[in-house]
Amino acid sequence: MKITFPHMGNIYLGVKALFDGLGVDYVIPPQNSKLALEIGSLHSPEEICIPFKIMIGNYIQAIELGADTIIIPGSCGPCRFGEYCEMQMMLLKRLGYDLNFIVIDAPTDIGIKELYNRIKRVSSVSKKLKFKKIKSLFDAVKITNLIDEIEASSHYFAGYEKTKGECKNILNKCKEDAFKCDSPKEMINVLLNYKEKINHVSIDINKEPLKIALIGEIYTVIEPFANMYIEDKMMSYGVSTKRHLTPSWWVKNTALLPTKLNSLNIKRSAKDYLSLNIGGHAMECIGEAVLAHQEGYDGAIQIFPMGCMPEIVSKSILPKISKDKDFPIMSLVVDEMTGDAGYITRIEAFVDLLERRRNNVLFRS
Amino acid sequence: MKVGIPKGLLYDKYNPFLHTFFSELDAEIITSVDTSKEILDEGVKYCVDEACLPIKIFHGHVYSIKDKCDIIVIPRIMQLRKREYICPKFCGLPEMVLNNISDMPKAITEPIYATSENDLFKWAKVAGKTITNNNYKIKKAFNKALIVQNKHKAGIKNEGYDINIALAGHPYNIYDNYINMNVVKKLNKLGVGVTTEEYFDDDIIDIQVKSLYKKPFWTFARKNYGFTVNASNEKILDGIIYISSFNCGIDSVTLELIKDKIGDYPFLTLKVDEHTGEAGLDTRIEAFVDMLERRSLIENNIPSHG
Repeated sequence: MKITFPHMGNIYLGVKALFDGLGVDYVIPPQNSKLALEIGSLHSPEEICIPFKIMIGNYIQAIELGADTIIIPGSCGPCRFGEYCEMQMMLLKRLGYDLNFIVIDAPTDIGIKELYNRIKRVSSVSKKLKFKKIKSLFDAVKITNLIDEIEASSHYFAGYEKTKGECKNILNKCKEDAFKCDSPKEMINVLLNYKEKINHVSIDINKEPLKIALIGEIYTVIEPFANMYIEDKMMSYGVSTKRHLTPSWWVKNTALLPTKLNSLNIKRSAKDYLSLNIGGHAMECIGEAVLAHQEGYDGAIQIFPMGCMPEIVSKSILPKISKDKDFPIMSLVVDEMTGDAGYITRIEAFVDLLERRRNNVLFRS
Repeated sequence: MKVGIPKGLLYDKYNPFLHTFFSELDAEIITSVDTSKEILDEGVKYCVDEACLPIKIFHGHVYSIKDKCDIIVIPRIMQLRKREYICPKFCGLPEMVLNNISDMPKAITEPIYATSENDLFKWAKVAGKTITNNNYKIKKAFNKALIVQNKHKAGIKNEGYDINIALAGHPYNIYDNYINMNVVKKLNKLGVGVTTEEYFDDDIIDIQVKSLYKKPFWTFARKNYGFTVNASNEKILDGIIYISSFNCGIDSVTLELIKDKIGDYPFLTLKVDEHTGEAGLDTRIEAFVDMLERRSLIENNIPSHG
């Protein structure tokens, strides 16, 4: 059995460590690229959202490398993501691939026993002791947390750095080195090392860089290919960015979901505008926008795939927040046709606008 | 007290309930006019661009009556069955409308969980409180409204036609004759009878749905899937026409699931949006009907390649 999984930001590091720890055979699909998207768009239904298309590209590229089992998380929310597994199974079967799908769904929908059975299909392949298996799971979570922390720090410090491009270099090197590791322990050490490095980048605290919050649909915000490397662009503009949605946030949020103690600050800030969970991450998007304003950010950029149902609702609400709080928010819609030039122009114009707002005498008066 | 009820989205399905409930509470009911060009234009003007046609039209309906009423009903239908939603946009409908249109009157935005009578009553209680404080009256109005609603039989089943097709899609696309440009009338004129999902039992639908790996968590995805797959398996109808609004997230999934299951069975998808031209729609329907007619002429319907 050779397991593969779709890309989403840096989760491949955590998953790699998990499978290394378990001693399970796996294939990491090639990094997301135009090719993956092209393959995906060729086979996917026309109106489905972009994460689906990129995922299909990942699968097919991984299958060519010998993968025969796909593992993905599921959901039964009102958002389309819950139907991904069904459609992807159907689509790959029609293309003539013989594959096993392991869908990790919430126990409230499939029952705890079924969930256990599904997880067992992966863990039973591993010959390691039960204790070791659990340890590798914890290692994977730790790695995800670490890489997210490093990423968040480098995105934030990019606005303050003395030597331009230092944060970006460290982040890129970090990902490269972490990927080369063969064991979870080694990877944790590498990441801890880089965490130390990024926290000691020489910064100029007197600088007042623009600060922008990235909000919106979880996949397009986290996956740099889907949002056309917006965070890298911001780093080179010298803009500090913050993104609340990360894989480690998702893990924590999902684990706390049954207790209803998840993301309390987001729920609290979203309450005035959207009090109910309407699926996807619409409530998070609204909450983050309000939080970003409270934390003194200059603006927010919402990114979502074309046709994303929950984000359409939040897009209707954001102008109201923007007006109430005098807080600029821009919405960017991405799909496989999004042109690079038009996209960059809009981001640059938004950054310019924020810059000029600052110089305006009326700003923050 | 004037209560405004917009004639958009699922109005055609649940109007007996809403009308009886509010008129029993002695409220004056204001409804918007049937969907028209003006309603659509207003909707397009106020709604976000990315939304689908029915949502835009709902905005238009709300806009047309917002100044005429004291309180407006924006149904936030969460679930019609346990763990079954309609669409995320339905769950956030009041937020969309209230933020997109300015100077809105007070609105009833309480979530509707129609999973059981008790859950539905929770909505009625809040909605009724805005008009009267008399709990007994609310309960009485609610019970009466339920009876009227249960008696109401929605759905289309034309009889006496040689060719019969299944008309599938979200109810607001099927029953709003402006959105679908009178597709039922057009089909009837071409000598084709129409049957909708309401004339099939929920049990039959559920049996078909069991063949899926995952139970669909959208009510209308489940219904349309079960209905069309059943129609193709049993061969009781000659073909399927599916009306879908452009950029509908649910249909993008449902259509794929159906197409995968029914194989060669005649299937036509009509995509509608605010730019749909009537001539193009006519041509497609006529071509489809021609095909069905020729199919029935070929003996036993066996494809030429065996």
